[in-house]
Amino acid sequence: MAIPLRRRAADIAAFAFATFATAFGLVWLMWILWTTLIEGAKALTPALFMEMTPPPGSVGGLLNAFYGSAVMIFLGLIIGAPIGVAAGTFLAEQGRYSRLAAVVSFINDILLSAPSIVLGLFVYELVVRPSGHFSGYAGALALAMILLPVVVRTTDEALRLVPNQMREAAFALGMPRWRVTSQILYKSAMSAILTGILLGVARIAGETAPLLFTALNNQFWSANLNAPLANVPVVIFQYAMSPYDEWHELAWAGAFVLTLFVLLLNLLVRFLARRGASK
Amino acid sequence: MNDTITALRIAVPDTASTAGPVKIDIRDLDFYYGKSHALRDVSMAIPANSVTAIIGPSGCGKSTLLRTINRIYELYPDQYAAGSIAIDGRNILDRRYALSDLRRLVGMVFQKPTPFASSIRSNVAFGLSYYERLSRSEIDDRVEAALRQAALWDEVKDKLSHSALGLSGGQQQRLCIARTIAVRPQILLLDEATSALDPISTAKIEELIHELREQFTIVIVTHNMQQAARVSQHTAFFHLGELVEFGKTSEIFTNPHEQRTRDYITGRFG
Amino acid sequence: MNPTFAHEPELAAAPVARSGAGADRVFGLVTAGAAWLVLLLLGAAALSMAWGGRLAFETFGWRFVTSSEWDAVGGHFGAFVPIVGTLVTSAIALIVAVPVSIGIALFLTDIAPRWSRGPIAIAIELLAAIPSIIYGMWGLFVFAPFMAAHVEPWLSSKLGPLPLIGALFTGPPIGIGMLTAGIVLGIMVIPFISSIAREVFSAVPTALKESAIALGSTRWEILSRVTLPYTRSAIIGAIFLGLGRALGETMAVTFVLGNAHDLSISLLMPSNSIAAAIANEFTEADTDLYRSSLIALGFLLFVVTLVVLTIAKLLLLRVNRQLGRTH
Repeated sequence: MAIPLRRRAADIAAFAFATFATAFGLVWLMWILWTTLIEGAKALTPALFMEMTPPPGSVGGLLNAFYGSAVMIFLGLIIGAPIGVAAGTFLAEQGRYSRLAAVVSFINDILLSAPSIVLGLFVYELVVRPSGHFSGYAGALALAMILLPVVVRTTDEALRLVPNQMREAAFALGMPRWRVTSQILYKSAMSAILTGILLGVARIAGETAPLLFTALNNQFWSANLNAPLANVPVVIFQYAMSPYDEWHELAWAGAFVLTLFVLLLNLLVRFLARRGASK
Repeated sequence: MNDTITALRIAVPDTASTAGPVKIDIRDLDFYYGKSHALRDVSMAIPANSVTAIIGPSGCGKSTLLRTINRIYELYPDQYAAGSIAIDGRNILDRRYALSDLRRLVGMVFQKPTPFASSIRSNVAFGLSYYERLSRSEIDDRVEAALRQAALWDEVKDKLSHSALGLSGGQQQRLCIARTIAVRPQILLLDEATSALDPISTAKIEELIHELREQFTIVIVTHNMQQAARVSQHTAFFHLGELVEFGKTSEIFTNPHEQRTRDYITGRFG
Repeated sequence: MNPTFAHEPELAAAPVARSGAGADRVFGLVTAGAAWLVLLLLGAAALSMAWGGRLAFETFGWRFVTSSEWDAVGGHFGAFVPIVGTLVTSAIALIVAVPVSIGIALFLTDIAPRWSRGPIAIAIELLAAIPSIIYGMWGLFVFAPFMAAHVEPWLSSKLGPLPLIGALFTGPPIGIGMLTAGIVLGIMVIPFISSIAREVFSAVPTALKESAIALGSTRWEILSRVTLPYTRSAIIGAIFLGLGRALGETMAVTFVLGNAHDLSISLLMPSNSIAAAIANEFTEADTDLYRSSLIALGFLLFVVTLVVLTIAKLLLLRVNRQLGRTH
């Protein structure tokens, strides 16, 4: 019995729509990546990595911005990752039996998707206002707060993947809980925890808004974390919004490097995850 | 029915072991998973230096019983036990009995092999450094002794620093056994330890159990009646959380007293 | 008697084992403390926003939310325009993202050949990995001019004259505006909704789908009559999640929305969103009232996204339970 025309038409329409939707999504992805590649490649010169951000209308590089970003990401990582791993451990090990764990897990997931600009404002009120000036420390703190929920969630999931019998075998040998966790569980889940941290780094590398209110920017070379510190996203923001062509070019170069960094990290994470799963 | 019993009789060794002194004295044990009453008023005396098998259909409480002996259930707040289990005269369910002492006294091997993600040597030595202060060479000696006892030494002596994850399933399970006996417990609990293994590995481990019983008191849980008949001197049959019958293996399998035991053994249920 | 253990030390004299309890307590405290810190973070952030915005709230009261004035010189600030801009751009984003995401989920679970599903899914998820500032730059330098040159003139000439909805599409084709921002936002939100949709679509029990196939249903009928009803909570949860993200998105919108504090009906006109206003003006805010107004805006945004994300999480929690996950 043939399907009536109306139903067949609806089916074909659905098929067409789904295919179109996917193509739609992919087209945007390619358009954005292509643009970034083309525009960024134009401005990709060795000077990019050797000179500082220039005054309006002149050429230069992004060295101080790269440095500032690297330092703040690193600091944010050192502050946020250990706390995140500890909290994630709490959630995984106490998960089913603790009211606190259930609440924290819920709140954490909300923080994960919450606007990062709010965390930037928070650090502004907490650190910048009382101290009277912007600083790299404040920027690192803001990044740490954005990193934290990501690491909590990924650590929680990584530890839950360890089979329960392994926990029981360790306890049956008489190990105290802290040893079971640190010597057995972490070892087993280490690659998953690390990939989670890498994911967090990829996320904070591209964050702009929170840095606007904490580290702001610095036109010159500075290694002083207690003062405004140059960083890639804010430089891109200021330069792109400016009327100067040379600054636009530098902004694209920065965008290219940033995108490359983030995409490579993401692909690395996927690769590591697949390798860990097949073991 | 008679065919089955005849078949089993062939498998049961005629030399019955002497019951000997009691190692684990379970009295009036009740166990709860939350509201569910999983073990009802269980009392049994497990003799020392022999193998006791616990058999019964799924969900009858046999693993639950095993897990009370080393109090591994305490990891889960909604599970609790009432009653007493005396090992060498001391009630181990008493809060004052230190878990670390208990876990050194009682070792457990699980159904699925659980090698830790490190080298073979460090797996076996895991518990050692925790309980005793031993020198490097003493640890090595203990590791070798344990691996020999677990009949794994010859297969791994050249690759002690290799990852334990590279061993086969049967080898991993013997590694877990070596790890457990390295700390020199007096009691070994084997919870369906061969269910996940192939017949050859299973046979090797059954042989192991036979050799180990001279040093340890072994309690095994198994859903394989033939295995229970082959390996144990005493057998306990559980049904719906109750101990239905407990006696010498040869008697349980050839001439059980309870009708329920008879029904289970002849395959009427379970 | 065990001959091998004859010379073993007494069990009770195993001092090494005893130190476990103390270390355990420390470990427990550290992990619980870290968990409390997460809670603290949320609470402190909310409180500090409220505190920072109190000057504005005290000065303007309810009128802060209803006034569309934004006069830095005279000191009059009202959140109405940013609020409307945020809501409108987010609505456009959802209108774009929801059908597309469901379409992608359908494509990946049903239509695409198996070998291509992995790579395509990864590609879609890369959309989420691209930092929002990149979206902003691309939007400003490439997409907005494109809209201005090709799309907006067409819209204002074809739809502009129409009654009622025509008003939405009038105005000079400058590219920067609510429509452009909404579309860029929509693209950003697609991966979030589609990944959840894909997960729940493939979790629909095959038995259910097969019964529908046995009854002679077409692919569209299975989607609309079996899959979508079964996954309804999850899809709605995903939509709320997407909404939560769209509401708080800053950089992409800042570049292409225009930072205009004028209220306008037309989608083709520039406007402002809460996050964009804060990002654009915070460093220039020179008076306490100005700064406080911006922080007050941040507080409003925070509260709204909190509510939206809570609803999303509640819906998705229920779904996880359905799928049998432990959390």
